[in-house]
Amino acid sequence: MLEILQYPFMIRALLAGGLISVILGWLGTFVVTKKMSFIGDGVAHASLAGIALAILLGWAPIPTAMVLSVFIAAGIYFLEKKTNLSGDMAIAIIFTMGMALGVVMLHFYSGYQPELISYLFGNILAVSWTDLKAILAGGIIILGFLAIFNHRILFATFDPIGAHLSGKKPGLYDLLLYIATAVSIILSIKLVGMVLVSALLVIPSAISRLFATSFKKFIIIAVIASFLIVVLGLIVSYYLDLPSGATIILFGGLMLLLSYLGKSIINKARA
Amino acid sequence: MNKDFLKIENLSYKFNGVSAFEDVSFSIAKGDIVAIIGPNGSGKTTLLKTIIGLYEPHSGSILIDGQTPKIGKHLIGYVPQKFEFDRLIPITVREFMDLERCGQKKHSGPNITKALAEVGLKDSEHKKLGALSGGEFQRMMIARALLHEKDLLIFDEPSTGIDISGEKTIYDLIRTINEKRGTTCLIVSHELNIVNKYAKTVVCLNKRMVCFGRPEQVINPETLKNLYGIGAGLYHSHK
Repeated sequence: MLEILQYPFMIRALLAGGLISVILGWLGTFVVTKKMSFIGDGVAHASLAGIALAILLGWAPIPTAMVLSVFIAAGIYFLEKKTNLSGDMAIAIIFTMGMALGVVMLHFYSGYQPELISYLFGNILAVSWTDLKAILAGGIIILGFLAIFNHRILFATFDPIGAHLSGKKPGLYDLLLYIATAVSIILSIKLVGMVLVSALLVIPSAISRLFATSFKKFIIIAVIASFLIVVLGLIVSYYLDLPSGATIILFGGLMLLLSYLGKSIINKARA
Repeated sequence: MNKDFLKIENLSYKFNGVSAFEDVSFSIAKGDIVAIIGPNGSGKTTLLKTIIGLYEPHSGSILIDGQTPKIGKHLIGYVPQKFEFDRLIPITVREFMDLERCGQKKHSGPNITKALAEVGLKDSEHKKLGALSGGEFQRMMIARALLHEKDLLIFDEPSTGIDISGEKTIYDLIRTINEKRGTTCLIVSHELNIVNKYAKTVVCLNKRMVCFGRPEQVINPETLKNLYGIGAGLYHSHK
């Protein structure tokens, strides 16, 4: 087991994955409560525009995509709140626009871009020390935001009219939740890939919802499930020499299936 | 007694240029139970949402205890017709009631227990919100308003989807709170018998204000014909 810790790339992947899993597990509880599961997919795919722009101009892809993700999140928010478009319509529009823009930009890049596949499907080897620093810095800020504003985000998410009446500005917390989700998705892209990352927002909450008896426990169980999915998925991907992103997501799917089975056995035993 | 606890003057609101209601003016005294009646599409729910500050009026003014909705909205407890949420989300009654304090230790456990007991939900604080029936949910919403000591309770058709006994329980509760605490209540209702039995004042709305007064003055065949366009009345009128 300790053998994998001899490799710096594995240490970087586990550190990045551990932090990201906690954040996505926590954020996922709000995203699922708000019925916005599609936002992870939308932001991740739209971020192709940022990755493509960075590749084309020779900039660092993750910071570029992070800045763009803030605009993507704000774009979804304003389309949803200021027009008569529903949340899923707003996400679908931004999702496809971002991807289309990315594909057009990559059309102008001459030459093979091997790193692009890493962004699409994740690569355990692709997390550099610079990436790790960006993930730690961004991750700690988002964790701090969640820790400080957890109650307000829940109030705005669950009962926006009640939050409005008590002067808690639900719109502001919605926007901040969208931005935090978008930035977290970008932080996870190198490890899990933009095609797969949204599953990490949804699967831990789906597992947690089966067992939690309060919202506090919903968050705690989702965070633990997310951590186990990412860290064990990474270890399995190392030993079986499989792509990290796909292995993590498949491992999550397996955990969800086992959770459903476990829950039905518990229910039958109680009946 | 503050006779203008809720004061609405020449209030109008338009949806995409189409009038939802216009030139509505009335005042509610502190401690009153006021029912707003009117046909579907008459602007009742839009008027409530304008009062609570969700919609910006096209013209006119609203004062809640002398304050604009932007400042005075914290005085309001709102019980919507239907609270939309995923019933599988595991949030407890206690957590929901505590949302407003946002992590501050203002309300301790006994206050929540007491507020729930007051509405007949004594042992429900650890129940999941999704496990409550329609009637229990509405009572829990009232308990939350009591917990946070709201001065004005606004109900949008509080008995929608609730059986007759649940309906009676809710309206009896509204009356008890009004009598015991002096809380002002504003209710949108379609049930003329209920309005006649529980309201002290009635506002008739059909885009414009058609009538305003005590139930016995307002609920009569002539006014109801003006309001609904057809003959309507009470099945019985015993208070």
